[in-house]
Amino acid sequence: MNRRLYVNLFWTIASILFLIAGWQLLASVMNKPALPGPLVSFYTFAVEISGGLWHHFVVSSYRVVISLVLSLALAVPCGMIMGREERVDRSLAPLIYIVYPVPKIVFLPVLMALLGIGDISKITLITLVVFFQILVPIRDAARGINPAVINSVKSLGAGRWDIYKHVVWPAVLPEVLTSLRIASGTAIAILFFSETISSQEGLGYYLLDAWSRAAYPEMFAGIISMSLLGFIIYIALDYLERRACPWKYVQL
Amino acid sequence: MIQAEQKNMVEVNGLSVVYRQGKQEVPALRDVSFAISRGSTCALIGPSGCGKSTLLYVLSGLLESYSGRVLVDGAPVAPLRRETALILQDYGLLPWKKVYDNVGLGLEIRGVTGKERSTRIERVLTEVGLWEMRDRYPSQLSGGQRQRIGIARAMALDPDLLLMDEPFSSLDALTRENLQRQLLDIWKRKRMTVVLVTHSIEEAVFLGQKIIVLSGHPGRVLSIVENPRMGEAGYHKTSAFHALTTELREKLVP
Repeated sequence: MNRRLYVNLFWTIASILFLIAGWQLLASVMNKPALPGPLVSFYTFAVEISGGLWHHFVVSSYRVVISLVLSLALAVPCGMIMGREERVDRSLAPLIYIVYPVPKIVFLPVLMALLGIGDISKITLITLVVFFQILVPIRDAARGINPAVINSVKSLGAGRWDIYKHVVWPAVLPEVLTSLRIASGTAIAILFFSETISSQEGLGYYLLDAWSRAAYPEMFAGIISMSLLGFIIYIALDYLERRACPWKYVQL
Repeated sequence: MIQAEQKNMVEVNGLSVVYRQGKQEVPALRDVSFAISRGSTCALIGPSGCGKSTLLYVLSGLLESYSGRVLVDGAPVAPLRRETALILQDYGLLPWKKVYDNVGLGLEIRGVTGKERSTRIERVLTEVGLWEMRDRYPSQLSGGQRQRIGIARAMALDPDLLLMDEPFSSLDALTRENLQRQLLDIWKRKRMTVVLVTHSIEEAVFLGQKIIVLSGHPGRVLSIVENPRMGEAGYHKTSAFHALTTELREKLVP
């Protein structure tokens, strides 16, 4: 067990070094100010993070985390109910079908006009996107529960609420966390886009501001921060999945 | 208002069940009648598609759209009757709950908590010899162990009617025989009424005091055979046992 941990750690570090080496190689070959090497970028990141960059990092983290929590709180109950209650699903499914493919990002101007250019419009947009991305997998997971499992628990005297508590919720939980992990990438992309438009705070703003000043090492410090944010969320959700679904990781 | 104790635990009169498949109506059971006396065992046997599982679902109260009269303990069958336990062939255990919590699930749902719950769980897990496995997940158990946990979960509810839908059919021959014996032992101690659906003739003769033979498409009672020597030590080695299996085989495969 411990040995496997070390092997994993070794390959993680090796991959990071490989990426940095590739970056260095590309920077050396191109030799343009717009593509500084990793050394100067990480140095600038270290300097900036103890300065103004930290504030932007916190603002962006706050926006994306709140959006993920909100989407979760809305999509999980909706998905479970739609997956289990045929009548609800029949009336809502066409709506979902129509709205799902609409690129929600085009509503950013509308949201900014209605909700202002602060946190609320950004959080609403990200929530809107992530909600649909996790709703559909949760609904399908709830629908796919083996009826024999439901019947055997019903035969123990379970009412509707017991079924949700003991069967539906644990059955969709892995799907919830997996779909959220996948959606977190999209969430950060939407965050970046919304922060580059008439914004004064956040990593998107910081990055674009550095670009407009041709401060390329700072721009890359912003890129590093954004990647770090994505990485942290990804790892956190992965960890959460292992903690919340121990039965999926037992040794057989 | 104490009712006289019913002699029959289960009484089925003119039971018919029709399944709807799209616009077609598929009859599953037609005019089925029989009775099972309290504290006895009964095996239901028949070809696949004879509606024997459907019959069990009706008795458990899970299937409510049927015609005819079905009495359990003298009252019309009701969903969520507390003293009925159902064991399915598979899928009965929840993969996300440890053995201990799976066995305690029925008690938890029925609001039995605290000391009483933990004593009962320990008792039934010890009875089936799997107390040491209480912290494992179902995926970490063998098929036979899983089915024993299923039996333990049912017994934790102290049922007076135990319904089993081909409980041992996915197990290998040795494990199956072991579990059949274990079930027989439990029944001899508790004397609850057992209704067992099976497609194995030997199992029906080994475990059923009464054997109801159903014909297929739609299910109808072909014959009801009494098997009074069931449970006798060494019965399965006697010629009477083999004569009965042969008799049943001829009824099923004319």
